[in-house]
Amino acid sequence: MRKNAYRRIPQTLALVVAASLVIGVTAASPANQTINLCATTGTVSLPGHDPVPIWGFVLKGAEADCSDVADTATLPGPELRFDEGDVVTLSVTNALPDDHTISIDVPGLHFEPGPTDADVGSTVSRTFTASAPGTYLYESVGDGERQTAMGLYGALIVRSATSGQAYDTSASAYDVEARLVLSAIDPAFNADPDHFDMRTYLATYWLINGKSYPDTDVIHASAGQKLLLRYLNAGHDNTTMALLGMDENVLARDAHLLPNAFDAHAETIPAGATEDVIATVPSGSSGLTHGFPLYNRQLHLGNGAPSASPGGMMTFIQAP
Amino acid sequence: MTMLKRTGLLVTVAALLWAPATGQAAKTGMVCTPGGPTFNLVANTGDIETPDGNSVFLWSYANQSVNTGHFQAPGPVLCVNEGDTVTIHLHNGLDSHASAPNMVPENVSIVFPGQSQVDASGGSEGLFTREAAPGGDVTYTFVASRPGTYVYESGSDPSKQLEMGLYGALVVRPSSHADWAYGSATQFDPSREYLILLNELDPDLHHAVETGGLYDITKLHNRYFAVNGREFPDSVQDNGVSWLPNQPYGSLVRLQPYCNPSNMSDPLNPPPPACTPASPANTQPALIRMINVGDLNHPYHPHGNHLRQIAQDGRAFASGASSERFGETIGSGQTEDFLLTWTDQDFWNATTNQFPNGVALTDYRNLTFKDDNTFYSGSAYLGRKGTLPTGVVQQNVCGEWYFPWHSHALNEFANFDEGFGGMATLMRVDPGGGCYAFPSSTTIPGGVLKSGSYTDLGIDDTKSYQVNPKTTTRPNATTAGQTSITVASASGFPASGNYFIRIDNEVLQVTGGQGTTTWTVQRGQLGTTGAAHLSGAVITALANDWYAGFTSVPTGSQNLKVTYKGKNCANTTGTTCTLIASNLPQQTVKICNWTIAGATGCSTATSSGWVTLPAPQSQPVGSTDVSTTWTLPGSANAYIGTGSNKGQVRVLVHTQRWTASSPTPFSTWGNFMQLVYDAP
Repeated sequence: MRKNAYRRIPQTLALVVAASLVIGVTAASPANQTINLCATTGTVSLPGHDPVPIWGFVLKGAEADCSDVADTATLPGPELRFDEGDVVTLSVTNALPDDHTISIDVPGLHFEPGPTDADVGSTVSRTFTASAPGTYLYESVGDGERQTAMGLYGALIVRSATSGQAYDTSASAYDVEARLVLSAIDPAFNADPDHFDMRTYLATYWLINGKSYPDTDVIHASAGQKLLLRYLNAGHDNTTMALLGMDENVLARDAHLLPNAFDAHAETIPAGATEDVIATVPSGSSGLTHGFPLYNRQLHLGNGAPSASPGGMMTFIQAP
Repeated sequence: MTMLKRTGLLVTVAALLWAPATGQAAKTGMVCTPGGPTFNLVANTGDIETPDGNSVFLWSYANQSVNTGHFQAPGPVLCVNEGDTVTIHLHNGLDSHASAPNMVPENVSIVFPGQSQVDASGGSEGLFTREAAPGGDVTYTFVASRPGTYVYESGSDPSKQLEMGLYGALVVRPSSHADWAYGSATQFDPSREYLILLNELDPDLHHAVETGGLYDITKLHNRYFAVNGREFPDSVQDNGVSWLPNQPYGSLVRLQPYCNPSNMSDPLNPPPPACTPASPANTQPALIRMINVGDLNHPYHPHGNHLRQIAQDGRAFASGASSERFGETIGSGQTEDFLLTWTDQDFWNATTNQFPNGVALTDYRNLTFKDDNTFYSGSAYLGRKGTLPTGVVQQNVCGEWYFPWHSHALNEFANFDEGFGGMATLMRVDPGGGCYAFPSSTTIPGGVLKSGSYTDLGIDDTKSYQVNPKTTTRPNATTAGQTSITVASASGFPASGNYFIRIDNEVLQVTGGQGTTTWTVQRGQLGTTGAAHLSGAVITALANDWYAGFTSVPTGSQNLKVTYKGKNCANTTGTTCTLIASNLPQQTVKICNWTIAGATGCSTATSSGWVTLPAPQSQPVGSTDVSTTWTLPGSANAYIGTGSNKGQVRVLVHTQRWTASSPTPFSTWGNFMQLVYDAP
């Protein structure tokens, strides 16, 4: 039996030892996969702030109506992982408050014809073939994307048929990987998502995988290792992330390999887009005191209003 | 100071060549701060001025070796060579803030995105790197291992300190190749290396820091958008202008059209006179080093030619991966490098390639902003000036083109929401080889107009400005030995100095009575024999003199070049040139040196102010057009009038035909005359 086709890695950065380092493992053959999720309510913990209500995804439990997982949605949703070639059915049961129809989308994937939406209490199933490896964002875009702003998003990763590679090229080989879902929260919106005047929307918490610094998780990688960073921008802002002390080789955008990969240390990920980069961790500290900072260069480095800094969309790459 | 006054000063400054080795500030182009690879920087406080009359309190880095750390924004441009061990001592001078007593100083630091193996010592441990406490110091050292365009900036409390201005540019040049950005494919013209550093700021947040008030980055509302620390139109002022003492870096980009004189069939070459086999080669592109130190991603839009992006973040793109751009979003903290070659698309030319009839002249170069200021020349032809409406203040020097380069987020193309201003500068395209000037008048101090006017000298075509030697008559018969003769009129003959005349086949020299109708003459000159002449005989001068007047040549111009193209014909009437096969007239071209005797010195053909141009100082010119260009190196100020003659240049053509045994009539046909100069 193959392992589960997904891993739920809530509230922590994905850190996966490449399969090539694991003895006796070969790439799994394509299989049919069914993923069952609930879209429901939850809360997120923010530094210096009371828990903020969210809408999000969570793995479905025993109850068909998701009642057993109510108020446990996570930010971001569970990370979904498939193998290249898998035929996947993604079923989402809508357990949101009344009158919020979900609309499930994964930009970059081609779904078989069928309904996209589900009213509260209903389930929508969308089927696709994970034909191309890469980093994708899944989300519910209902209510004029208010649902996305509330937290209905997560990472969907299609693994290359070749283990230890992000894509089907040797240049995408990596030793460790980290997924960074970028987003932001305006607690005033989350408190009243149905009536909030979006013209006054002002994000005051900036998140990596649902957390603001200092709650963000450190990325662990050792000198000499190739670190695959999968950026997914689930937020509303074109986000520029700076990396100190090392280059990152930009090899793919929106799950497509670039014809000419290039090196950078500040990359802009458009809202709704994904980007894959590989950084080789240097030896030494490069004069940096807490590892290699990876942070929002647009100064979203505080929490709340008035803004308390340091905070926001920032983490560090450190040796294990 | 008003915008009008500031921009008016654009035309009053002298051009200097870029001088990286000495650190001497060129008027335009990137300026490397003195020193290196060891720099002593200080973080200190100061104010910048904005074009709307505001001033904003900033924190920035300064170079201690420049006027003892005089405050400047942005920080000094640090230029080093690949392989250098770079050492930066940083002193935190934020403890000294007398002008802002309630300001709360902070630890400061520097991080170096794109550099590896930085060593930080001294100071104390901060979140990103080691920091200097107020009044304290910290030192960073690294080997500049890879060429490129980089940022250095504060790694302390960045959401405040980057807004406040603690950043600057770091340039690493390839070892042994200061004219390469990266590899050999990125060679550029080192006299055309430009920095475009973008940032924006919110004066309310700066005021909060200045007064010790609440600093809340979530209240950020950017009002000023700058290039190299200045908002437009300040951005197009020269480097180091005195009225922007804390904002030393201008961002005007100056180019000339591509010209490859060694291959005149190069399709990118503009037509003559912009590019001829004698033109200096201009085949290397300019290098544009663009940096975004702001907190917003800026869609930067260069008008005119496309830019070719060759690198991001100090890393050259792979071969073949560069791309042409006319709009490029540069992300916060990013750097991007571009090569830029100016080529004209249509080669419209007032002489050889005029706009077709019925085609509306393009007016996209009609760059008018507030108060009827314009950089437009009044003519769509490069190198030509036209007439503008009364009341329009024109900044154009000589028909050069200006193209705006600006953020296409148009709210950023403004100063405190007033357009246009803000994150913008200009690209100035000078005519090929320099600025041109064409005659705007002609005067004949010795001779008589045959046909044509000064406009015929402005275009190299079949039409010409034609002058005959002056003629008059002898009312009486002349004996062979007579040495005092009366003439019907002296008008058009030289009023002073000795000169030759011809009666029939005898040449006489006038040695007295010049300017009157009774002349003292010496007979039988230049190999001829004194002879008797009938009453009513025609007297012809053996030389003619005429000069062309040019106007609006700016003081401070350099390297004046004079081009004259013309011929001489044997006939003094008619429209067809009768060939002169032998005994060719001798041509001498002179320029007025206004410093000798002012306008008086260049009033007659023999006045003292006329200076013969450099070699060829005298040359035979027959009935085929001869084109000659003379260059006067260095300052052209002696040849440019001042006071009531401001901007005037006069060029005199003296033609004589007296060296042969059988003098015969001639006429001078001026086809084309122009000045070319390096404008200030």
